Amino acid sequence: MSDYKNAGMPPPSREFSRKAAIVGVGETDYYLDYKAERAKAPGYEPPTTEGLVLTAFERALAESGLERGDIDGLSTSFTYGGPEPEALAQMLGIKPRYSIQNGNIMAGPLPIACAAIAAGKCDTMVMVYSVASRAIGRQYGGSTYAGAAGAGAPSSYYYYLPWGWSSQAAHWALMFRYYQATYGATEADLGAVALQLRQNASINPNAVMQTPLTLQQYLDSRYIVRPLHLFDLCVVNDGAVCLIVRRADMARDLPHKPVLVAGWGEAKVKNDKMHTMVRERLRPIMQDAGGQALAMAGMDLAEIQHFEGYDASSIHLINQIEGFGFVEPGAGLKFCQEGNMAVGGKLPVNTSGGNLSGSYMHGWSQIVEVVRQLRHEAGPRQIAGIQASMSALVQTDQAHPIIFTRGE
Amino acid sequence: MSQSTSPSREKRPDRALGAGHDDFWAWCGKGELRLQHCADCGKITWPVALACEYCGHTSFDWKRMSGRGKIVSWCSFERDYYAGLLPIPWMTILVELEEGPLFISNPVDITEQDIRFGMPVAVEFIACEDSAGGFSLPVFRAA
Ligand SMILES: [Zn+2]
Repeated sequence: MSDYKNAGMPPPSREFSRKAAIVGVGETDYYLDYKAERAKAPGYEPPTTEGLVLTAFERALAESGLERGDIDGLSTSFTYGGPEPEALAQMLGIKPRYSIQNGNIMAGPLPIACAAIAAGKCDTMVMVYSVASRAIGRQYGGSTYAGAAGAGAPSSYYYYLPWGWSSQAAHWALMFRYYQATYGATEADLGAVALQLRQNASINPNAVMQTPLTLQQYLDSRYIVRPLHLFDLCVVNDGAVCLIVRRADMARDLPHKPVLVAGWGEAKVKNDKMHTMVRERLRPIMQDAGGQALAMAGMDLAEIQHFEGYDASSIHLINQIEGFGFVEPGAGLKFCQEGNMAVGGKLPVNTSGGNLSGSYMHGWSQIVEVVRQLRHEAGPRQIAGIQASMSALVQTDQAHPIIFTRGE
Repeated sequence: MSQSTSPSREKRPDRALGAGHDDFWAWCGKGELRLQHCADCGKITWPVALACEYCGHTSFDWKRMSGRGKIVSWCSFERDYYAGLLPIPWMTILVELEEGPLFISNPVDITEQDIRFGMPVAVEFIACEDSAGGFSLPVFRAA
């Protein structure tokens, strides 16, 4: 088994477009696992990475209609460590001829898998992701997190510790305060995002937070980093995601419609990080990366009918709606308040509840939702007749959009 | 590591130390806010870096900032991230220095009620201490 570690992103070139399709998806029981973790009944044991991965894999394999013997590629992504590819392959009962140890967040792994398939390194790749954050008692922020997270982690606040700066949430707080000053938005305006995503989650039985949320409850909730409330920040939960990605010409005649990976892009902030983040809310890198993805897919932004953004925070989802150009800068909150981000709206967004209310799988659960929508299997939250979706992993210094289309 | 704690010094989470950082803090110790100024392209890189963030050049001089600026954003930590080291709520501000860089800092005698967008501020230094010892921390007061 050949092994590829810390791979770079393949270029967004047309030759890779629609060459691979997602044919199987599996997720763990986010809702039940979260409930069990909170209840901590006698004898409760937090789930392990291995156990979570196995569950997601079995589900993805079962729905894909493939056999273990059809799998010849493996990609692993773990937020807090996990087994080596050899050991994992053995555990899953597969014999991959090619494996990749990918980064944990959905900023590269899927394009890297598609490029490997296009290059003939394998035909059918199992991609697994897992996070067992609650199991290690992690919280966001503080010097321990910055220190323990290591390279590649969101450690951009690390330098500012002597000023008491901490937590990813503070980035989003600075952005929203600036947004307020620029566009006159209120906290109640921002509350519309949390309410919308909770409404989306309320019709997803696997969402961590399904109880409807009122504006008053939002406003009464405690601040985490003022002006952001508890409900402006993502949930933290355990889980795993498995995607089965197969050569597009081998992806027909399976139980579900294949979902083609049509385009991707990548852009990073090179300098003026604080300015780009707070005052431009990352729009330049989203315009750059979004343009790459659309060009690779041969599509216009107007053809995108559904967006699955990286809502680490409510305001950051608005950053993406505006930054990729779905609406003008400053128009995002009104767009949300008018119901345009709901199923049935102009651009349904994070239809399974996103990171705020659905599940926080570092961008992987958004891909699963894209697949369900493009298969037309999203049940009560299905967007009618949808043909194309965009997902995006946007952090404080990088943007990774991916465009998907419904296959034949 | 620190010896005895001086009661007049504020305890803070640890600074980043090492090449470049040590120069920054040494200038702060003299009551001067100086940032890395690229010897090649003339731009200012902040936070401290080994290479210019614009052109990659690695030689710098330490350019003295006027210390004047204006507040462009702020936030308050309402959750104790530092195990009681800092009082809650804990306010941080983002200051645009006259020379251009955006600088994360703390306000002095500016409350959540007083603070406003674009408020002019000026630097001053307060005595602090972390696990590496005493240091002077640049903070900002309404100007
Ligand atoms: Zn330079």
